[in-house]
Amino acid sequence: MGRVITVTSGKGGVGKTTTTANLGTALAMRGARVAVVDADIGLRNLDVVMGLENRIVYDLVDVVEGRARLRQALIKDKRLPELCLLPAAQTRDKDAVSAQQMIDLTRQLRAEFDFVLIDSPAGIEAGFRNAIAGADEVIIVTTPEVSAVRDADRIVGLIEAAEKGPASLIINRIKPRLVSRGEMLSVEDVLELLAISLLGIVPEDETIVIATNRGEAAVYDPNSLAGRAYINIAQRLAGEDVPVMAIPDQQGMLDRLLSLFGRRRT
Amino acid sequence: MTMSDLISIKGSRDGLRLRLDANVAWSELLHRLDLHLGERQSFFHGANLVIDLGEREVSSAQLDEMLALIRQHGVQATAIDSTERSTRAAARSVGLTARPLSRSPEATPMPEAEALLVMRTLRSGQVLRHTGHITLIGDVNPGGEIIAGGSVVVWGRLRGLVHAGALGDRSAIICALELRPTQLRIADLIARAPDQQALSRPEFARVIAGEIIVDGWEAFKR
Repeated sequence: MGRVITVTSGKGGVGKTTTTANLGTALAMRGARVAVVDADIGLRNLDVVMGLENRIVYDLVDVVEGRARLRQALIKDKRLPELCLLPAAQTRDKDAVSAQQMIDLTRQLRAEFDFVLIDSPAGIEAGFRNAIAGADEVIIVTTPEVSAVRDADRIVGLIEAAEKGPASLIINRIKPRLVSRGEMLSVEDVLELLAISLLGIVPEDETIVIATNRGEAAVYDPNSLAGRAYINIAQRLAGEDVPVMAIPDQQGMLDRLLSLFGRRRT
Repeated sequence: MTMSDLISIKGSRDGLRLRLDANVAWSELLHRLDLHLGERQSFFHGANLVIDLGEREVSSAQLDEMLALIRQHGVQATAIDSTERSTRAAARSVGLTARPLSRSPEATPMPEAEALLVMRTLRSGQVLRHTGHITLIGDVNPGGEIIAGGSVVVWGRLRGLVHAGALGDRSAIICALELRPTQLRIADLIARAPDQQALSRPEFARVIAGEIIVDGWEAFKR
């Protein structure tokens, strides 16, 4: 049975879709069977980020409404045969799907994949509630900005209330130079407020923008710092299933990334 | 008959409970309820209540009238308690949970909690509300709120909003291990945090001569 993991944030534009695409790709590169699901009905873009837009025939709403079988709607990745995308519908809105339908859908996906990553829409309304309805675990993405962290805090509260927790955290787009000058919230500042476990941190990196616009995951690029950060996070996610594997502890990973920053600065 | 005999509010572990007199005329009761909620707006706004109608028989039209009234005050009913089957049926017909009540409430008094002890992080969007004192062991994050009829103790960082003495008691105090609120309110007074960073030490806030004053914990003498 696979794990259903929802990637959410509260605030928009902090990197949920990029995170979902890169973690999905990184997990599939390790040989896991992975489905990434775009739950942002009406504003789909996971397909664009993964470069699969022109292959869409059926979407998530077609599946829940019975017009297509799950197999027909799943799109195989260009490079990795173990990676599949279930795209969102673009011509419908969030009311097209109910929480129960999402739970049924995740049950089907769980039977065929090791990891099911659900890309949640921003906000705290029905779309978000649907996205977490079938989740076993929740990953919250935030950037080190006061407004994003505030929204992440609200989301943690809602996840606790929905008994989907404990949630884990990815802090995205850390600008080491700003942190070292004390002009940006540090990882410690964010963790102190949110008081949830840290899954990983991702540095601000231009290669992400380039890769995203090309429809390719940054984890393919050996020179991408952010790509390496996502591979790290995928290892930690997978490590929980394979306890024999030696995984870097939180502090170790932090130190390693920080030393990378150090090298980059000089 | 005084107002407090007609309408009483109790806080317990399970939330707030509004008990309404079962004998006075319905229109008079609603009028008193309107006044009661209006006078305590800062406490009740946004609250969810269990409403205890006692032995009164109430129709669904009357319930609708009452629900519309409390909604104007920003208050929602979560459940209706009544001894009467017809009242419970009316409550269900307007979409509320209805719970049976024993005919002799004196025999089984509501466990009233004077002080509420809560251990958790109060996050953005979460509200802790109680008629008595509140002790929170944990942080109040920005966007989180505590509203208490009495005093508030936060054994942690207070970075959200606290309203103590929200039923009108200016002698209520607020204390925290780290007092960096977005806003403090005591009774009808409001204070905003100073713009420069506060010290990281236990502090308390109380009303002196009509103003909310914050001091280091050492200054506390009673």
